[in-house]
Amino acid sequence: MAVNGIIEIHNLSFFRGKRAIFKDIDVSIAAGKITAIMGPSGTGKTTLLRLIGGQLQPHQGEVQLFGKNIAQLNRRQLNQLRSRMGVLFQSGALFTDLTVFENVAFPLREHTQLNDQQLHDRVLLKLEAVGLRGARELMPSHLSGGMARRVALARAVALEPEIILYDEPFSGQDPIAMAVLQRLIKDLNDEMQLTSVLVSHDIAEACAIADRVILLGEGRVLAHDTPEALQTSPDPAVRQFMHGEADGVIPFHFPAPPLAAELLCDNASVADKQGGLL
Amino acid sequence: MINLVAALGEQLLQRLALMGQALLMLLQSLKVLPGKHGIARLTQQLYVVGVQSLIIMLVSALFIGMVLGLQGYTLLSAYGSEQAVGQMVALTLVRELSPVVAALLFAGRAGSALTAEIGLMKATEQLASLEMFGVDPLHRIVAPRFLAGLICLPLLVAIFSLVGIYGGYIVAVDWLGVYSGSYWGNMQQAVDFGEDVVNGMIKALVFAFVVSWIALYQGYSCVPTSQGISTATTRTVVYSSLAILGFDFILTALMFGGA
Repeated sequence: MAVNGIIEIHNLSFFRGKRAIFKDIDVSIAAGKITAIMGPSGTGKTTLLRLIGGQLQPHQGEVQLFGKNIAQLNRRQLNQLRSRMGVLFQSGALFTDLTVFENVAFPLREHTQLNDQQLHDRVLLKLEAVGLRGARELMPSHLSGGMARRVALARAVALEPEIILYDEPFSGQDPIAMAVLQRLIKDLNDEMQLTSVLVSHDIAEACAIADRVILLGEGRVLAHDTPEALQTSPDPAVRQFMHGEADGVIPFHFPAPPLAAELLCDNASVADKQGGLL
Repeated sequence: MINLVAALGEQLLQRLALMGQALLMLLQSLKVLPGKHGIARLTQQLYVVGVQSLIIMLVSALFIGMVLGLQGYTLLSAYGSEQAVGQMVALTLVRELSPVVAALLFAGRAGSALTAEIGLMKATEQLASLEMFGVDPLHRIVAPRFLAGLICLPLLVAIFSLVGIYGGYIVAVDWLGVYSGSYWGNMQQAVDFGEDVVNGMIKALVFAFVVSWIALYQGYSCVPTSQGISTATTRTVVYSSLAILGFDFILTALMFGGA
């Protein structure tokens, strides 16, 4: 199969216990673009990011990064590949025992031979880019959620990676922080010629900056298109998600026996069940 | 009946698999020797695991020694041999109480803290982010803590014995009037370095290994939720305590049992 994307996923299946999270999916993510992976909660968006980062191994199929199948790499090669890739975790995942400055310096200390002055300058530039140069001496516990995520972003781009993965960058943020993050992601992508992969279920925010959207649901790729095309898609599942309808092809109810059958069953068995619970 | 056997077998296999995982974790974390930065991280953990456990050890040791002095005096004076209280206190502490009580306290004080710390690191994705920076969390986080536990507990046990013996001295000599010379003299005569002190330290080393291993594995493998961390912390204390008492019996039987 011809490799054209910077991230290529072929025939990938992944299970948690007996439940299939992904069934035989193919995804190709183009270089230099912002790709949003969207879908309802629990469809394995974060799992997909972990598969791309090599933290999980697929049960079937393969994940290729920069044209290399990551399952076939040894630890050293995988780590080298990872240094070309930044990840912004959902919680920020800052190291709580290090200051903001040391957090951003961490990947540089691990992977480069910069001297103290160069390191200092590089960290300050990265913090300046996210507007938090003044907060460099603070500990992560003293940062607001939005600030922590911006520091984590500065840390993720410290090594000037070619790919950056964002795990739910907008969730739980106030409108201002959300707008700031949106601008940062867009600017970083354009200025550093990054490939950005963004997992989110904030439709408006993600669609505003994404070049392509991959919509996941029921273990497969429901759609892979531009945000505009998805907004007007006739597919009922796509439409339900993009327009936020509570019920539809993706049901409101968790699978259960019919309500009438449960309500009308004889009282004795209900009493039994409750007794059992208590 | 067949189902029962099958269920039992399944449980056993699951337990064995878990123990295998725990062993793999330990081997992997100790595969690489600590470098220059590793020594600094080890020192920091020695402080957290060892120095910060000192207060609880000192206070407990003092009181246990005092109680031993008091009980020993009451019991021995019935036979008119209260001058032997020094050797009784020392032997009890060095052979048994210091390693066991210090290890139990260590599991509650340091072990639970290690589990909670690593569990929270997992829950806040700090371990995952280390991995994504190409840093092995087993090597960076688990190894220094394990080594720190292995070094600290035997030292704490030694300190525990010293302070306990002095606690016994305060009660027996200063308060109840045992002759100071016989307190130390009998002790010197009865306590054998190889038989008693070294065996006590071997126990301490075994307990240190077991407690640190349990605490780190529980933290590293916990379900990363608040309930998961709480379960893991409880398990650390319970499993460690049981393991300490179980190993103590086995070791005592091997060291002092029989002829």
